[in-house]
Amino acid sequence: MTRLPLDGIRIADLSAVWAGPYATRLLADLGAEVIKVESPNNPDLLRALSLLPPGTENTWNKSAYFNHNNRNKLGVSLDLANPRGRELFLKLVEKCDAVIENYRAEVLDKLDLGYGVLKAAKPDIILVSMPGHGKDGPERDYVAYGTNVEQLAGLASLTGYRGGPPQKTGISYGDPVAGAAAAGALLLALLARRRTGRGQYVEVAQREALTGLIGEAVVGYSMTKEIPPRIGNRHPFWAPHGCFPSAGEDQWITIACRDDAEFVALCGVMEMPALATDARFAIAPARHAHQDDLEAIIGGWTASLDRFEVFDRLSAVGVPAMPVLTYVDLYENPHLRARGFFEQVTHREAGTWDMERQLYQFNRQSEHIRRSAPCFGEHNDYVFGELLGLSKDEVAALEKEGITATTPNMASHQ
Amino acid sequence: VEIGLKLAHAVICDTDVTIIGAEAPVVKPFAEEHHPPPPSALEGLRVVDLSTGISGAYCTKLLSDFGADVIKIERPGLGDPIRAYPPANDPTQPLETGALHLYLNTNKRSVTLNLDTLTGRDLVERLLVGADALVDDREVGKLAAQGLSPDSLLQRFPRLVVTQISPFGQTGPYANIPACNLTAFAAGGQMSLTGDPDREPLKNGGYQALYQAGLNAFAATLAGLWSAAETGEGDSIDLSGMECMASTLELMLNTSCYLHTAHFGGRRGNVLSAAIGVYPCADGYLGIHAMPRNWPALTALMDAEWMREDPRFHDAASRLGHDDELRAEMYAWTSGQSKKEAYARAGEIQAPVAYVHDMADLFSSPQLASRSYLSPVDHPLAGELTYPGPPFRLSATPGRPGRAALLGEHNEEILQGVLGLTRADLDVLTGEGVTS
Repeated sequence: MTRLPLDGIRIADLSAVWAGPYATRLLADLGAEVIKVESPNNPDLLRALSLLPPGTENTWNKSAYFNHNNRNKLGVSLDLANPRGRELFLKLVEKCDAVIENYRAEVLDKLDLGYGVLKAAKPDIILVSMPGHGKDGPERDYVAYGTNVEQLAGLASLTGYRGGPPQKTGISYGDPVAGAAAAGALLLALLARRRTGRGQYVEVAQREALTGLIGEAVVGYSMTKEIPPRIGNRHPFWAPHGCFPSAGEDQWITIACRDDAEFVALCGVMEMPALATDARFAIAPARHAHQDDLEAIIGGWTASLDRFEVFDRLSAVGVPAMPVLTYVDLYENPHLRARGFFEQVTHREAGTWDMERQLYQFNRQSEHIRRSAPCFGEHNDYVFGELLGLSKDEVAALEKEGITATTPNMASHQ
Repeated sequence: VEIGLKLAHAVICDTDVTIIGAEAPVVKPFAEEHHPPPPSALEGLRVVDLSTGISGAYCTKLLSDFGADVIKIERPGLGDPIRAYPPANDPTQPLETGALHLYLNTNKRSVTLNLDTLTGRDLVERLLVGADALVDDREVGKLAAQGLSPDSLLQRFPRLVVTQISPFGQTGPYANIPACNLTAFAAGGQMSLTGDPDREPLKNGGYQALYQAGLNAFAATLAGLWSAAETGEGDSIDLSGMECMASTLELMLNTSCYLHTAHFGGRRGNVLSAAIGVYPCADGYLGIHAMPRNWPALTALMDAEWMREDPRFHDAASRLGHDDELRAEMYAWTSGQSKKEAYARAGEIQAPVAYVHDMADLFSSPQLASRSYLSPVDHPLAGELTYPGPPFRLSATPGRPGRAALLGEHNEEILQGVLGLTRADLDVLTGEGVTS
């Protein structure tokens, strides 16, 4: 088997839903052994979001939302609120490099599993926490779910049509941003441990991680003291820079010109060479000032054309253009297919289907998806038996006492 | 030119070149000269950055803010194109005082080198002798065209991590098409879900397609550095922004892959369902994100406990069946609320309601102030401005504050101090336009 970049790293993963599991998906894809720990009574919410018909057997093992974000991981169930469960978790921590969690700020301490406790079990442990606001400050206990994060981070205030309200991103955008940030932060701590021999506590406050992606607006505000207006799809100084209708129902294409030469090329493809010398459009500042007129002309041209035809013709002359691709488009996208972006995966209960592959493509250290996502409690035997050394009887007793389970109690997600 | 070639010859043929690199004096980055140095996560690692875009700049900002010695190679004269982005704090110094540049190029060392010259490229190679990583976000093929293909670099520098960031990846039919943040965002799928259903799809604020690629490239580079430290072998990384975005469409792409359905629809504007949306209030906008278990807290916040009993709203399914009526209730309630008061009351009872923070709200946020997230950074030409802190907090090896480098500020420090050139060499190189 190919060596992977994080071979030999073991992570205990207490996270659920999207942000945390996305972080550990990135790390598991890179070769880390991620052991996902779920509560028998509060399994990962994504297991409940299968969209399968009611009555489907073991739906919790067949949610694509869960199975895409948890592939390459091992999964155990363990009740951390039970003293024996907590003790076993600390035994697991002794064998791990890092622990990651995205509970609300106070939960880990309430379980008596804060950094100090983990460090006592494993002196060089790295703990990564992903609270919405941070673990201190007056708002630390406020609820901040998916879509709230971009509102708190300042991003939503910058998103929107001109003159319109702030607009939400179509996804809970704060989640994958915090996830990628947490993966990076954990790796930083590993590299630091390598040099200093010490672990540490790492905190990824999700709203702060996302504000990091609009830092120029923060610095800009401190210069101008002016709230930046929402500018839709436009650019601070390039023009055109917009999204235009194309043939078909709800089909769109984005087009941008980064300089005058690209605009001349666009005019050529539109067969409107006179535009390139029109005083309103000849140079970028003029185009920027006359964007309403310019967008009407370009939109008139694109409206009757196939979006991929416009894309091909503009790409050929070096003008940035791209159809607005939907998830349906992406699944069939010839570029992604040519790159092998989708790989077929077989899951022992959910069947066989296409899944996006490892995102960080290393030339020598990339591998196909190694294992499908764990069924609920699938690796209880391996982790509690083989890794922690419990006997078969002891492992069976855990399940009998409800400290572990192989069938989750889904009641909390009804 | 002749001197340049001689120098190139010396670089390639001089067997002592490795020793020069190894013995190069480590010049402390600016921040460490002015503050007692806290331990940093990436101390001792050197990164050569050829990037000219936001993706690469954000990747290497995170590396430099956490202690790596990032040497940023810039075009003589104009420098990194992102220097030119407005607003600039001093319009007479547009390349030194732009907000985007000031934010993204913190703690890096700037050296000007013309990579269209053989000598310029050879000097980059000499820098790579002592480097741990190379980051590049320029158009696909440029690195190889300059004689620096990842394969050839790894032959010469086996421990190097070469991170190439691009909108679509280094291979495939889109690899060479021109792109910018907007078109890259359209490619990733997030845009198709953003905006009002009866209007055009909308990009989100700023340069999110490029930042996402940069953030992921940072994590990927660190994984490469870890692996190189473990095994003594480097690797090259092909990071596609499109792929990072396509993997983050909530349940849309994954469930569609599995169930072969396309029933999730597209853009749903500001209100996904009544309990998840952005609503106007008296002085701004409130964001509600209530899951079934939050219903009691939300109705308490709204002083509308009656809704828990109302058969239209008493459970999740009935609420979904009466979504329009529930939206009407939400609009009626939010319109009378002031954003900060509603947020504070929501916090007290853990109701899932936040408000849309604009830039002024960030600057007056009690939470961010309590955590000192925003802090002043001084710069010799731009003056003191407010910057976001690091996006994550490492308790033992925190991110370091610092400022952006002036264009070519570290030419002497690097070309003389690190590479061992003489003052006379520098004059020749300047005369030939290799540096400035």
